[in-house]
Amino acid sequence: MAKELEQQIDQMVDRYRNGKISRRDFMKYLGIAGAAAGLAGGPFGLARNAFAAKSITFHSWGGSTSEALRKYAFDPFTKATGIEVVDAAFTGMDAFLTQVKASYPPGGEFNLAHLSAVYDYARYTELGFGSVLDESKIPNLKNVIPKMTDTLRAISGGTLSAVPYDYGQTGIAYNSKHISKDKAEKLGASLLWDKDLKGKLGSWGGDFRTNMWYAALHTGQSPNNITDMDAVWNALREQRGMMKKYWASGSELMSLLANGEIYATVAWSGRVAALQKQGHPIGYLAPNNTYSWMEYMYVLKGTDMDVAQKLLNFMLEPDAAIAVALGQNYPPSLDPTKVSMPKDIEKLPAFDPTGKLDGYLFADPKYWNSHQVEWTEKWDRVKAGS
Amino acid sequence: MKLPSGWSLIRAYTILIYVWMFTPIVAVVLLSFNPQQFGSFPMEGFSFRWYFRLAGNATILGAFKNSIVLGSLTAVLTTAVGIPAAMAFVRYDFRGKDTLNTLLLAPIMIPEVVLGVALLLFIRWLQQPKSFVLLLIGHVVLTLPYVLLVVQARLVGIKKEYEEAAQTLGASPFQTFWSVTFPLLAPAIFAGMLFSFTISFDDVTATLFWATAHNQTVPVKIFGMLRNSISPEINALGTVMIVLTVSIPLFAGYISRRFARAAEK
Amino acid sequence: MKSDSWKPWALLGPSLTAVFFLLVIPVCFVVVYSFWLRAPSGNDIPAFQFGNYAKFFADFFYPSLLIRTIRVALETVLLCLVMGYIPAYFFYRTESSLKPFLMILIMLPFWISFIIRTLSWINILGDSGLINHVFLKIGLIDRPLAMLYNEAAVLMGLLQYLLPFMILNIYVSLDGIDKSLTEAAKSLGCTEWQAFKEVTLPLSLPGVSAGCLLVFVLTCGTYLPPMILGGPGNDMIANLIFKRIVGTLDWPFGSALSTILLGLLGVIVYTYNRYLGISQIFKTLQ
Repeated sequence: MAKELEQQIDQMVDRYRNGKISRRDFMKYLGIAGAAAGLAGGPFGLARNAFAAKSITFHSWGGSTSEALRKYAFDPFTKATGIEVVDAAFTGMDAFLTQVKASYPPGGEFNLAHLSAVYDYARYTELGFGSVLDESKIPNLKNVIPKMTDTLRAISGGTLSAVPYDYGQTGIAYNSKHISKDKAEKLGASLLWDKDLKGKLGSWGGDFRTNMWYAALHTGQSPNNITDMDAVWNALREQRGMMKKYWASGSELMSLLANGEIYATVAWSGRVAALQKQGHPIGYLAPNNTYSWMEYMYVLKGTDMDVAQKLLNFMLEPDAAIAVALGQNYPPSLDPTKVSMPKDIEKLPAFDPTGKLDGYLFADPKYWNSHQVEWTEKWDRVKAGS
Repeated sequence: MKLPSGWSLIRAYTILIYVWMFTPIVAVVLLSFNPQQFGSFPMEGFSFRWYFRLAGNATILGAFKNSIVLGSLTAVLTTAVGIPAAMAFVRYDFRGKDTLNTLLLAPIMIPEVVLGVALLLFIRWLQQPKSFVLLLIGHVVLTLPYVLLVVQARLVGIKKEYEEAAQTLGASPFQTFWSVTFPLLAPAIFAGMLFSFTISFDDVTATLFWATAHNQTVPVKIFGMLRNSISPEINALGTVMIVLTVSIPLFAGYISRRFARAAEK
Repeated sequence: MKSDSWKPWALLGPSLTAVFFLLVIPVCFVVVYSFWLRAPSGNDIPAFQFGNYAKFFADFFYPSLLIRTIRVALETVLLCLVMGYIPAYFFYRTESSLKPFLMILIMLPFWISFIIRTLSWINILGDSGLINHVFLKIGLIDRPLAMLYNEAAVLMGLLQYLLPFMILNIYVSLDGIDKSLTEAAKSLGCTEWQAFKEVTLPLSLPGVSAGCLLVFVLTCGTYLPPMILGGPGNDMIANLIFKRIVGTLDWPFGSALSTILLGLLGVIVYTYNRYLGISQIFKTLQ
């Protein structure tokens, strides 16, 4: 028996070496053979069939987003199609891309994801994780703000791998008890360099773009085409000395502002809205050329497109989109001239009633992605004080 | 036995350390009763709001179940694998002992980000999808060093003569282990299981990379919440767990004393 | 004894297999990756070049992170030892019926996620935290003390995380000591302190040794306390590795950083095991 098995394995190895079978089948075979022989063989293959029931995965920030989607999109979708939506949390754009990059097989584990920022759409597309949506199967796409779909289309060569879902800004939050509205509006981006706020400033430490963007505005340059790079780095060096904390998460941002640890910081508009809703004295300032971005539901390569498109259509139903928007405080991608919005949405910072998003400046993916390594390394050094 | 002189100082010092260790925990427990989402002191009221929210939150409770199952299986497997390994290191001399001892401690020497991604690279190269079994074995490897260290430290204190005496009296190696070594080793085994359960229960980084969408644990969900805001429901969950872990042994102790007293009568 | 030579290998079998497949092979991947290149898109390009290592040693920036990490790790070990030995000794000697309860209590903080525990310090040490709030109220200070976002705060977070390991490791070792030995020493005329110094302390060294090693190594690999409680200049090497692998998707450089850290720790731990390790201490005791 044992000898027979050994021969079989040898044959498999030969065939594998000759390229007749894929590594995957080879491993599977070894797994079965190992299990048969009572060895510690295929621990990785065993659980594969456990999820044979039809399902599709959706990764998002979790919390209020997934609660709203569960109620207004996933449950109706499951009811209509019998396909389960497994929603999982990710911990950030970068960590998720790392997971996707290291996963196997394509589309096996990761299907749909709620991603942020236009430059990330470019990263996923360039790394070859993109799919091609059949837009005729997603009737609700017609309600989406055209500028948002156009922006994505331009990156992936005319087709879409994702549907835009919401948008927001990284503006400036300030404590209105300590900083007057007049002063904030007068200074604009330079509020973050105000000497009076020494030791009471914050910024997002994890992102070189946000910091460089505001340094560019402070030094009077266009963020998507910085000409005097030294001025930007010098401004950031100067700012470092006045900084209380480079925060690393939205949760930290909110508790720093709510507890009065910092009086001014760059901030995600949705987080500011959440603080305002709870009655904290936090003002929101969107200086000219505020850093704007959008979020979208990305469909990763290898996913069952029919299922994905159906699900996307459920997600773009106004009820679902508005519920998510209220949950996370970012305006939905639906054009307010085509879909009527409730009052609470209209009050959100960064909301554009015209549905044109004129004057919303997105980060140019080509410009920022091509310098990512160089600028991150430089930013790390500046932040560490050199 | 008489307590050593200066005992009250030692006790006071220990109490101080406890107070310090529990300060952040007490803060978490208190803030779980704060009606405000962004709790800070002084508190602005008292409510069970987050406990009710927690009871209805299927996502967190599901993740909690995943954490418990994973932690328990890890604790059992790691001790089962770790005790023999510790025996080998303490009771035998063989070539390459120091090297292997270092090797088995390696899981804590490698930053978890690296181990997390590296294992995925290997799995991708094998063209295998992730699975629960992978996550479990991964956690066993991560927690193995803790069990090894604590069991070895205890084993060196157990005299070999006891085992040899048992064997000269005709006990088989297994009987010797079971009736002599094992009882003496019990505190270390308990500590080892406690370590591996808690490490596994609390692990974020590696789990983040290894867990599939179906078996994400509580810390992974919390990490995800960092972007928007961590719901005080998480504080409530921690409080519930603390109450359970503190009350179960106390209750068990109380019950057993009651029974003992009843038996005496 | 010759015929027994297979026994340790049988005992080690399961552990070695697991560690080999889940750690040794994956780490080989990391070492291989450290010679690769990163494409502008974030993809990896197979290559064999030393550019990633050259980048590390190009100036003092990256090595200084490594040195800071080692320094903080040593400080943490020292503080853990100072703070941990006495409570462990207390557990060993106490006759309180609460002892098992106190033991469980020491692992209790772990029930609250590490992230939450670390964030919780902000509520205590922050400008509007508990301590400043109380001090301001009783008029001890007139402006909040800045206690967060420096190395002391990072150490605080690290100690809170690692102290239980130190205490339990020392306790387990102490608990194995036959208490009649100290009694015997005292009946021979030793004072309490001498008995402790001559008998108990040396016998507890295996636990101390294990605890120190564990704390040192864990500190070197952690990134959450510096991220949450540290200022911009308090990052440690694990923060950098996390940022390179996850942030910029620069796996080749991240792998090179990891290889360097791993090599350094490997040398430290191996030397330690060889000269100060558990087996060594055990031998000197006999």
